[in-house]
Parts: sequence; C-alpha cells; structure tokens
Amino acid sequence: MPKIIEIKGFTFHYAGSPRPALTDVNLSIDDGEIAIIAGPSGCGKSTLLRSINGLIPHMYSGTYIGEVYINNLKVSEHTISEIAKHVGYVFQNPENQIFMFSVERDIAFGLENLGLPREEIKKRVDWAIDLLGIREIMHRAPHEISDGQKQRVAIAGVLAMKPKILILDEPTSLLDPLSALDLITTVKHLHDTLKLTVIVVEHRLDLLVSIADRLIVMEDGKIISNNEPREVLKDDRLLTVGVGVPSIVRLRHLLKDACIFKHLPLTPSEFVEQINVAQR
Amino acid sequence: MYWVANAFIFRRGDSPIHILDPRIKLLISIELFALSLISSTLIHIGISLAAIFTIAALAKILKRVYRTLMFSAGFSVLIFVINFLVGYSIITSFVLAVRFVAIVGSTSLFFLTTSPDELEYVLRWFKVPQDVVFAFVTAVRFVPVLMLDAIQIMDAQKSRGLELEKGNFINRIRKLAPILIPLVVTAVIRSSELAEAMEARAYGAVKKPTSLYTLTLKKRDKLVGIASIMLFTTLLLYFLNLTG
Repeated sequence: MPKIIEIKGFTFHYAGSPRPALTDVNLSIDDGEIAIIAGPSGCGKSTLLRSINGLIPHMYSGTYIGEVYINNLKVSEHTISEIAKHVGYVFQNPENQIFMFSVERDIAFGLENLGLPREEIKKRVDWAIDLLGIREIMHRAPHEISDGQKQRVAIAGVLAMKPKILILDEPTSLLDPLSALDLITTVKHLHDTLKLTVIVVEHRLDLLVSIADRLIVMEDGKIISNNEPREVLKDDRLLTVGVGVPSIVRLRHLLKDACIFKHLPLTPSEFVEQINVAQR
Repeated sequence: MYWVANAFIFRRGDSPIHILDPRIKLLISIELFALSLISSTLIHIGISLAAIFTIAALAKILKRVYRTLMFSAGFSVLIFVINFLVGYSIITSFVLAVRFVAIVGSTSLFFLTTSPDELEYVLRWFKVPQDVVFAFVTAVRFVPVLMLDAIQIMDAQKSRGLELEKGNFINRIRKLAPILIPLVVTAVIRSSELAEAMEARAYGAVKKPTSLYTLTLKKRDKLVGIASIMLFTTLLLYFLNLTG
C-alpha cells in the first residue's frame, strides 16, 4: 500500500512555548484510509494537523526536527497553497472559514485563488454543490444558513480543490446529534465515492469507530496508540486518558468477566449481536 | 447609530433598479449626488428630490429611503438653524438644510439597491488591490457574526449583574468596556482562524486570482446609463444657468 502521509521523527516547538507541542511523532497513513485522531485537549492534535497541511512550519513560527511527507512531497519545501491541492482542511468552526457573501462564491474561493479559468471554476463549483447536496442554498448568504449547512459548505469549498486527503477538525462539535450523524454519513460517502484519505479529529468516538480503519490516540504531544480501533480500544487504560471511549466499549470493559464476547463490540448492534450468538 | 446602519443595509430585491449593473447604479447615485450638491434654489432641490424619490419608487424601497431621510432630517434642522443664525435668508437656509437630506438620499439609494457582492465586483473593476477588496469583503461578511457575538456578550454580562441601562451618560459609556473588551478579543480570535483558513484555501497563490463572475453590461444597462447621462447633463446645464 502506498503511504499518502508519512511523518518521520517530527518534533515541533512553537516559538515562545516552554515545551514542544509534538515530540518525535512517527506516523504513516495508507492511501484511502479513514483515521481518527483522539486525545485530550492540548495533546497536540491540532499541531499534528497543521503540520500535515503546511500551516506548520510555513505560518507558525517555531523550531522543528524531522520531516512530513504528503504524497511524497516534503511539506517544508512546498508552499501552503501547493499543499492545499493535496490536503483539504476543514476547520473546527465553519463560520470562520466561509469568506464570501454567497455559498456559491465561497466554494469558488480556493479555485479563484489558484487562478483557474472561469469555465473550470464553474464546473468544479457545480460538482461540489451536487456532491454535498447544497444546491437549494447556493445563492444564500452565510448568515442565512444553519451550522450543519455551513459545515457542508466548508467541506464543498475544500473538495472543489480536488484534494486526495480530507482533514476534519472536530467536525461535529457544533452540531446537534442528528446533524452530527448526518455529517459522518456524508463523510463516509465522500470517502467511498472519491477514494479520499480522511483524517478526523474527534473526542467523541461513538459515531466514528465503526467506519474508521485506524485510531490514533495522542497524549502530551506523543502518539500513545495507533492501530485498528478495535485493537486500540481493547486497552482499558484509555478510559483514563480523556478520550470519549464509546459507551458500548465502556460497558464491555465493565463486564470484565463475562466472556461471552468473542471480540470487542464497537456499536450497540454489534453488542446485541454477540449476546444473541452467545444465547443460542 | 442604528439608523445609519439601517440606511446602508442591503436587502435582496428584484426591482428594475436592483437588477441593473452595479456600475450603472453607482453612476446614477453619483449623478444624483452631484445634482443635490449644486442645487441652490427651491426648484433645483425639488427636482433633485423628485428624481431620488422616483428611483426609490422604482426600486420599491420608498419606505426605507423615507425613513432614512426622516432620521437625517434631525441634522438638517441643525443645519437650518446654524445657517439662519449666521445670517442667511430663511429660503437659503432651508435649501441648504434640504440639500443635506437629498445628499443622504442619493447615497443611500446606491447602498440600498446594491448587494455587498456587487460592491465587491465594482471595487475589483476599479482595480482596487486584492487585499483591500478582501478586507472589505470580510469586514462586511462578519458584521452579522460580530453582532451576534456582541448580543451574547451583553447577555452574559447582564446575567452577571451589569446594568447597561442605568446611570448617567458617562457611566453608561464606562459600562461598555466589559462588552467591548471581550468583543475585540473574540474578533481577534476569529481573524486568526480566518487567516489559517485563507492560507489553507490557497489565498495569494497567484498574483491575479480569477473570478467566478465578472461584470458585463447588458443592453438595458447601456440604455439606462446613456439615458441617465443625458438627463443629468440637461439638468446640470439648467441648474448652472440659473445660478450662473
């Protein structure tokens, strides 16, 4: 499997900060994976994401050791706008990444910045609008649409640039449970249809573990766990780290001695299924 | 200050004026502005106001223009009194006072019928540098956002016992500090997030970014533009003849 993200011995120290935000991080992610990054606030998740899309080291001053490669490009040797063609970054607050007065114009923003010809911009904006199902709001202003819709507009604006990697920083934190579920379903759909590599930072794992290929847990600027979600969640020490371990996994850990479970259930339906199997 | 904002807040419309090219709307607005400025008799100012109201009626924004003018009438009373006290005749003072109303009216016509979007295109058309245009766009774009922030902060401070409506003038101003300081802080945080997001969407990647839409003059725009210039020139000559 080709590695689309390759981080080698990366340490980053923000200028003026007493300790490094990332310490000797090694990580490689395969093309087409869905990876979750979890960990308590201040564990270095955002710093890791910033070093993937080039905001680090190009926009944030600080010192670093090691290298980050995206699609075999050395991030430190390419501008953020070049990296932007490979990495789409959806920030936590959709409000602060919608710039223009209408949805349609905002989706065109990145393409205009790249200096693409008008016909190409039109084609891609149209494509992204249909992809995210936001055609009926395409002429609305940002203050006329809901948070869930803003999130979709932000994703459309990023995907219009046709990146291979989609990064979502706590995409559900401002959404109600139903919109959150809706968004995760959309992300899964985008991943499947566009063959994207998706990296999601999320505290609450309930919604995501069942669709993810990899769960990365961080603490104090280090990766403490990096494997398939089921393997990572087997470790009950995670319960104390400050990661939103799914309730069903917590329940399994509480049922220590009940050995009816062949493997760790990640969702309520898996849980029920295994109980049914055991009863038979 | 609310009325000032209200006079210049755009609402979507589909009147014959709204659908004009923004450059033509700007042209008409400037023409009316100039006519108002050189009006020196009751007849002149009457013609100018009639023109402003006609266009407002066509744009179906008569009520909003009227409201704006009523608010600016407060200032014009002041202008009247000062001019009269300085020694001008009642009629001259009156013309000067009404002239102010007409000037405000002509300017607000443009802003009431032009979306910020169109304004942005006009700025680009005038070859205003990209960074300046973008600063303008984000400033206007974030007005409603910051207004919501301000309301939230006010609610939070009020619920902690801040009484905004009490006290004399000086005290009330002093009480704005607990509102303004958090508001500025949130605005700064927003702008730093905005900067990150701009970078991530390749802002500044090429010297001359392209644009999804550009302004093109349609037939009706050309017609209206030429007609307005002809009318304007006629009136201008008429106004200057009488004064000169």
